[in-house]
Amino acid sequence: MAEGGADLHQMDPEAFREHVRSFQFWLDAVEGYLEGTEYGHQPDTPEAILEPLERDRLITVLCNYCMGETAALEGAGGLIAIAPNRATKVFLATQTVDEGRHLEVLVHRLRELGVAEPELEIDRRASPKLKSFKIRLHEFVHGRDWEAALFAQNVILEAMEFAVFHRHARTADPRTREILEGIIKDERRHIGFGENELGRRLRGNGDVRERLREVRRELDPLVLGCFEETLASVGTPSDERVDLSRSYVQAVERLGFA
Amino acid sequence: MTDFLKGYDIQYWLESAPQGYLEGTEYGHQPGEQEPPVVLQNEVLHEQAIRSTVQLVLGERCALAASSGLINAAPDEASKRFLATQTLDEARHVEVFTHRLHDLGVKKSELESTLKEYGNPNLVKFAELLLEKVDKKDFVAGVVGQNVILEGMAFRVFEMLHAANESANPKFAHILSGTIADERRHVGFGENRIGSLVRENPDRKPDIERLQKEMSYYMLATFGDAFRQGPSPEEVDQILEKEGVKREKPGEWQGVKLGQATPEELEGVLGDTILKEFKLRLGRIGIEYQTPIQP
Amino acid sequence: MSAGDPLTAPQDEGPRRRFELDDRGFDEVPRKYRKYYRRWQGPDDELAPNEVLCPVCKVVVRSARELRVGDRIYCMACMTRMRIVRDDQGRLVGECEY
Repeated sequence: MAEGGADLHQMDPEAFREHVRSFQFWLDAVEGYLEGTEYGHQPDTPEAILEPLERDRLITVLCNYCMGETAALEGAGGLIAIAPNRATKVFLATQTVDEGRHLEVLVHRLRELGVAEPELEIDRRASPKLKSFKIRLHEFVHGRDWEAALFAQNVILEAMEFAVFHRHARTADPRTREILEGIIKDERRHIGFGENELGRRLRGNGDVRERLREVRRELDPLVLGCFEETLASVGTPSDERVDLSRSYVQAVERLGFA
Repeated sequence: MTDFLKGYDIQYWLESAPQGYLEGTEYGHQPGEQEPPVVLQNEVLHEQAIRSTVQLVLGERCALAASSGLINAAPDEASKRFLATQTLDEARHVEVFTHRLHDLGVKKSELESTLKEYGNPNLVKFAELLLEKVDKKDFVAGVVGQNVILEGMAFRVFEMLHAANESANPKFAHILSGTIADERRHVGFGENRIGSLVRENPDRKPDIERLQKEMSYYMLATFGDAFRQGPSPEEVDQILEKEGVKREKPGEWQGVKLGQATPEELEGVLGDTILKEFKLRLGRIGIEYQTPIQP
Repeated sequence: MSAGDPLTAPQDEGPRRRFELDDRGFDEVPRKYRKYYRRWQGPDDELAPNEVLCPVCKVVVRSARELRVGDRIYCMACMTRMRIVRDDQGRLVGECEY
């Protein structure tokens, strides 16, 4: 496996695919950026002094992230049952724990910001559009619709989160920034997995492509609307918000949904 | 309820498992460790190793499907997060035991047929029953089946296997010790979560007792079969002598010398331990043990 | 990278240049693979002849040899397999192979 002098890029393509979906790969990968952190940030990262309005806005944004991560946690867990093979099930198990970790560190951040009952606060503040998205995602999972569920979760939801967390991390307070940067590192694996898995299935399969086009038409407004609101809350200028969906659109274009 | 779950959060899991006892391991064992040559070369021992590893793969596949399915059924966010760590633990177990089958010479293309050939029908039945409950999003039945019955019983079997292999097969013993460490958390969660649920909802007690009665038969039958199918200590001695392998000091577990005990003795001590502990565990949860019904 | 620059422009013929890879602090993949990746610094980041940007996750993928059209490369950060192609501006880019 590309030890010592061997070149990683000379690895057999199937061996590569199997290796990167394994628990062993996950274990060795997360060690690099999670070791030494406590609830997603370094123990000595100082707490910023936030104005009351700024703090309140941040709490609302984090509540939305928590709702998105809860959807992702339940979605990834549910996808294991319908995954087509063992290697995919193992990868989804790593994604499940990643999503669980994201939820945990974000809930912990809410507590650090003084929220006594995070679960109630998340329910109260999270965008109704995101709640609708979560319900729809679970319908795909429970309906055992592998392609639609994976598209909704690992392409639509993850690509949007990836873009928003990137943008938010640029202006966030130090603790929130470290938490978001850790989440982004996990999400690289999730979006890559979603795109690769769907890309293989879409090759020459017009029916699946047409069905996913429908899914996209239905879910795009929910997710785009929600993250548009979130970016506005973290003070992103309106002209910059146009860039928000760029990486998502690029991912969808690569899959042939331009 | 939420307080006890603090000990089961992902931060704790990260520090104890990936950054703790799993650090530096490769597929659950120390880098470079290999199966002993006699296990690979002798037909009887080789088949026995494959047969026992197949049961581990099947049990862990069932546990992976159950724990991931239970995330959606869990009534609170903290339980969902714990089940996320359990899901990954179970996936790791599937991976390391499957990897062991490959190390034992089972080709990737032969994996599913090998599982089918050697899989114990009682274990397969248990899995079907448990996953039926999980599919119905029955959280209580799922946790009782998975974390109390399956893991609560398998935990002791793993310990016995570990003791038997510690000096004879350090590679397999290391894989098992990591698995045992994971299972400790799972049985702890099962006992604590179901215990608190029974305390909060005493009306669920008869329901849980019925589940235990219904589900534990297949697990006990699986363990019984496992001992009856293996070679006797005399056979193993003869094989080792023939292959010129020096007999290591036999592992000892619960006062029984594992390399010298007959299958009946092993079945007896394991049955005693499993059942004794199982009854104690149920007692702590507030449930009275029910003799399993033979379907 | 400018397509016309003889020092940095990709060559399709002749012996390939070799590159010594060093750890640039990319901590998202197992330690033994870190030297194959580095963070992208944005549109002004000039890529070397042995480097290509992963279109999926925007990480710079590095090879021990100069890259050429048809090479297969892997992004471990997002688990993508790519083939090197030329884009319409003559630059070497990675195209996903699903």
